[in-house]
Amino acid sequence: MTKTYWEDFPVGREDTFGHRIVDEDEIIEFATEFDPQLFHIDKDLAKDHFFGGIIASGWHTGAMLMRLIVDNLLQGSTSVGSPGIEQLRWKAPVRPDDILSAHSVVLEATVHKKKPDRGFTKFQYTVFNQHNEVKMTMVSTIIFLRRPETVVPS
Amino acid sequence: MTTGYFEDVVVGTVLEFGSKTVSKEEIIHFATKYDPQPFHIDEEAAQASPYGGIIASGWHTAGMAMRMMVDNMINDRVGLGSPGWDNLKWHLPVRPDDTLRVRTEVIRKKRSASKPMIGTIFGSMKVLNQHDQIVMSVETIGMVKARTIGEAEQNR
Repeated sequence: MTKTYWEDFPVGREDTFGHRIVDEDEIIEFATEFDPQLFHIDKDLAKDHFFGGIIASGWHTGAMLMRLIVDNLLQGSTSVGSPGIEQLRWKAPVRPDDILSAHSVVLEATVHKKKPDRGFTKFQYTVFNQHNEVKMTMVSTIIFLRRPETVVPS
Repeated sequence: MTTGYFEDVVVGTVLEFGSKTVSKEEIIHFATKYDPQPFHIDEEAAQASPYGGIIASGWHTAGMAMRMMVDNMINDRVGLGSPGWDNLKWHLPVRPDDTLRVRTEVIRKKRSASKPMIGTIFGSMKVLNQHDQIVMSVETIGMVKARTIGEAEQNR
């Protein structure tokens, strides 16, 4: 696989990727460890709750998006991590047997002022299911190293 | 202490709770499933990375913080979930054997105009390590049930 750098993610680049089947046992397993609220872990009580059935922890949906991003955008890249996430919105509950995909678009690409060997890339992501229902949106930044030949020593 | 109904939530309230020590095995286990970047799962690659050793996935840190909030603060019979959050920042890496705790503050609250039996609580959540360093912060948004549609509390 060709190594990807900051330069490979210009503003406007769009990608659509992934099929992640949401498994009920995995919803319960994740939430039992990280988010044990009844509507994530108790099938019977969840039926009578606001959401009308078990739903994935929003943090689980975020983690599943992260896995899609790693497998499809970051693998083989020079990513050195992320300073954070500007905005995340859970638009609709994620339920067992949903099949999640993601769309990404690059909103901004800026060179790191203090460390010019790297740059910030701001992505907007949309997570949707097999019925094209939007489940989650997120705006976050990844730091990639730049192609060595493009970096002018400061 | 747990989150109560909308009327019971007092702006300015600061709570600090939790004590979660994270092992290297847990870090690798989580990241193998959800965030398999080399600096989360591969000791050798992590040593060579800018982090100089394995660090936890930021999503893992967030998950551990969520667990402490559920155990100590969120009442799932009053809480109605969350529409999301803003400005999550990972300030410092979380490393194996770090011990994390959570500090929350209620910033403001607002009753729904269209559904007055529901209110929104805007908060600040910080994750601290054993050296009292902030490793993560986020501006939280939570929905809770209200006891009544009482006028006195409206939009307070």
